[in-house]
Amino acid sequence: MIKQICLIICLLALPFAATGQDSGYSPDVPAEQFGISHLSEYLGLYPDDIGYRSDYTEPDSFRLQIVADLMNRPLGMLDYTAELKSGYVAAQPEILAAYLFRDLARKGQTVRGTPYRADVAEIQRNYNLYFNDIAFNQLLTRAAIYLDLILPRSTESALANLSRSERAFLTNEFIELLVMREEDEFLSVEAIDSLDKLEESYCEAFVEFGYKIDKDPIIAAGVDCLKEMILEVSGLQQLLSSGSVSAKKIIESAAYLPDNADLNAYLGRQSGWKIGGAGNDYYTGDYKFIFDFGGDDVYDLSFDPNNPHGVIIIDLEGNDSYRSQSDFTLGSGCLSAGLLLDYGGDDRYDARSFSLGSGFFGLGVLYDAAGNDRYDGDTHVQGAGTFGLGLIIDEGGRDIYNAAVYSQGFGFVEGIGVIYDVDGSDSYYAGGKYKDILRYEDHYLSLSQGFGYGLRPWMSGGVGAIVDLKGNDSYYADIFAQGASYWWSLGLIYDLTGNDNYQCFQYGQGCGTHMTLGILVDDLGSDVYFGKGLMQGCGHDYSCGLMLDRAGNDTYTAYDLSQGAGSANGAGLLIDNNGDERYFVKNHKLTQGYGTPRRDFGSIGLFIDLGGTDQYDGNGRNDYYWRTNSRWGGGMDIELNPPDTTGGEK
Amino acid sequence: MIRSRSNVILSIATVFVLLITSAPVLGAPNTTLQAVVDSLFPIASSGEVMYRDLVEPAIDSIAALGADVAPILIDKFTTKSARERHTIKNILKRIGKPAVPHLTQALRHPDGLIVSRVCWTLGEIADSSAVGPLMDVTGHRRWQVRDEALGALGDIGDSQAADVMLFAFTDTVGQVRKAASVAAGKIRLAEAIELLVHTLGDEFYGARMSSVEALLKLDTAAVIKAIADSMGSVNPLVVNLGCLILGELGTDEAVEVLMSQVTSDDPARRAHAAVAIVKADPLDNCSYREAILANETDRLVLLKIKSAIYSTENEQR
Repeated sequence: MIKQICLIICLLALPFAATGQDSGYSPDVPAEQFGISHLSEYLGLYPDDIGYRSDYTEPDSFRLQIVADLMNRPLGMLDYTAELKSGYVAAQPEILAAYLFRDLARKGQTVRGTPYRADVAEIQRNYNLYFNDIAFNQLLTRAAIYLDLILPRSTESALANLSRSERAFLTNEFIELLVMREEDEFLSVEAIDSLDKLEESYCEAFVEFGYKIDKDPIIAAGVDCLKEMILEVSGLQQLLSSGSVSAKKIIESAAYLPDNADLNAYLGRQSGWKIGGAGNDYYTGDYKFIFDFGGDDVYDLSFDPNNPHGVIIIDLEGNDSYRSQSDFTLGSGCLSAGLLLDYGGDDRYDARSFSLGSGFFGLGVLYDAAGNDRYDGDTHVQGAGTFGLGLIIDEGGRDIYNAAVYSQGFGFVEGIGVIYDVDGSDSYYAGGKYKDILRYEDHYLSLSQGFGYGLRPWMSGGVGAIVDLKGNDSYYADIFAQGASYWWSLGLIYDLTGNDNYQCFQYGQGCGTHMTLGILVDDLGSDVYFGKGLMQGCGHDYSCGLMLDRAGNDTYTAYDLSQGAGSANGAGLLIDNNGDERYFVKNHKLTQGYGTPRRDFGSIGLFIDLGGTDQYDGNGRNDYYWRTNSRWGGGMDIELNPPDTTGGEK
Repeated sequence: MIRSRSNVILSIATVFVLLITSAPVLGAPNTTLQAVVDSLFPIASSGEVMYRDLVEPAIDSIAALGADVAPILIDKFTTKSARERHTIKNILKRIGKPAVPHLTQALRHPDGLIVSRVCWTLGEIADSSAVGPLMDVTGHRRWQVRDEALGALGDIGDSQAADVMLFAFTDTVGQVRKAASVAAGKIRLAEAIELLVHTLGDEFYGARMSSVEALLKLDTAAVIKAIADSMGSVNPLVVNLGCLILGELGTDEAVEVLMSQVTSDDPARRAHAAVAIVKADPLDNCSYREAILANETDRLVLLKIKSAIYSTENEQR
């Protein structure tokens, strides 16, 4: 007792040296960085504790450098997201494509493959001119050089080390790793096991030679082609708008051909080429090149993956209807580059699989400059990349994106898939077709909407992202979606403004599952987030899931293992910088700053709210620090910038 | 769907009946045994929700075959499937001690992946006859083997392994140091106290946090003395986590050390010490709170202390 009294006396006699200090926020540091550092310190952690060794599993040959770097330092996802957002320049989709190509470097790859360089003689090879307009002929010449020369030679270079059978494997067996069938849910256990073993055998076979593929030449050639086409179209559009030329004049000034002329020798009249005027046109078949000046056109397009080639489709105006008659159409690069550039109108894209900005061992770009558009497809569509880059850039309008699986910003092995939507209140739906038979009888796989996917444990995955800058957007998905990933990959959503609605059932909204990374960043607007489990900042099994909402009065609802939850040595972070939030959870024990105690040393769960008057159903509380009964997790709700209580006195 | 489920149930039942009624099968050549295991294993390791209730009977059926199936299962440890890996471990655990000789023999396997998974399984079985062979692999070139071997030794809980555990605190890989901390806590290794306190400042959080847990299991007086001696550490984590441990221990000696920290220039340090004092004296019997709160002016430190008080009072209710 005497000792205690002495202690108190000592305490009172020694005023704290730090009187008047405020261990609060320095505006030089981003709010979320301060929050992470501050809460980590409170819990006896360092921000850098969130990081994963590359040798937790046997490294494979397909890991992307960007994924490896971010796995080492997952909080770098915040900077990466900001950089990706800034990587786009209006009306110049090639800049974003080139930026993303950079991130397709394999781990340790210091020299990137280059496209085939046509020599002077090849470039000057004479095409017989059919049209008389110089600018238009220049555009056609550029396209012909790429389609006839650079793209096929670049593909040849990319696959030079593969045998004939290995090349055939890519479009026959390897593709099966991405194809689902609705009837799979009715298979017996033996049949499912047999199917699993078959897919494993495909993986085993592929890893024996897949490392010999150099995807770079194809993609780089495609990016160069995109750059030149954008430039040529821009020049032609200026001439058209100035009135110095017109579509009618260009078409009608075409040469008269002798009766026995070989049309294939004339530029713009080759087999697989078509030029359409300002009226409504109909195109059907497997085309290499279509240029359409306007009108409400209908495209029924097909593609044979066993006879791959580059495709360039340019449509300047009109409410067009693009329809797939096979897979690998509509901005699809299959062992080549596929570009679809639509400059106006309310368009409808009705695709099958591997379409709508799909790069499958190649580059696929769908650029839609304006209009309220609708995109429908099945598998590996709407910004999906496998050993390649798949990109949709939509610059305006109220758009609808609808897909089944592996879509909407999806990155598979050595692939990046991105949707970059600049304006409009958009709707994203992924799922509803292929049942998640492993986990549920009544839920569907999405594996979409900013989703990275690798084949555990054979091949690391890629990067999948959605960047949406404006509008009140709706994101709907079921299992695995919305800034999530699986196995050495990265899934990302960045939404800049608008009151957005995110609905996902499981593994989503800033979630990493099995040695991987997921991030969802929403800057402005009052948003609603709903999900069941492993949501809203959740990392499971040496993974990191991060969710950051910078402003707005948001509502978060989840059942369990969510809202800043780490599981099996994973790390989950939920950060809300500002606004009056409402946080709801069903299970208080596994949420709002929770780390599961798996594998001896536990996980990390951080819940951070840095401002506003917030309501909680769960561990949290307004103006409060807490440590959950877990290993290791906790949260804080503080006022980063406290209100001025001096009454304005100076 | 119903028909295929019925077929599976029928096949499990048939194999099971065959096994218990036909003694020669148990002594049959390995090829027969292999065939039986191969037929049941896909069911035992099935993950599909519609077959989930068939998994346990299949695991039981394989385990019922006894230790003779252990080598077959160990060979399957090269699997790339996490689910299959867990299934193998579960079956071997169910077989138990009779499987241990096969497993310890497999510790000499040239494939380090198999060795680490065998270590993991031996820890689950926790039979003391595995201690010597496990100690032999704590210097394995693969850190994953060292990690699992130390983990298994901790699970078995035999003090023979004390020296290898102490040595492992110096391992270059954080995961192995984590395993040393966990194992030291499990066997309550008093000689490890100073190393555990030092590990509170480890660069790997797994090692740090495991040391916190281990220290809470060891002799209180010795732990407090070791932490008190390290309060001048330049590594803030040693001090901050030391405060956390002292708060959990909650003795007068622990509080005395904490009181020396509430006047620190470092607001984070003061917060750790004050929060620990609240934890140590949840009812504020010694009336420390008023003095601490009265002297603290840092807004966020005050909020941390008030949050700790609220949390403590909430627990009391």
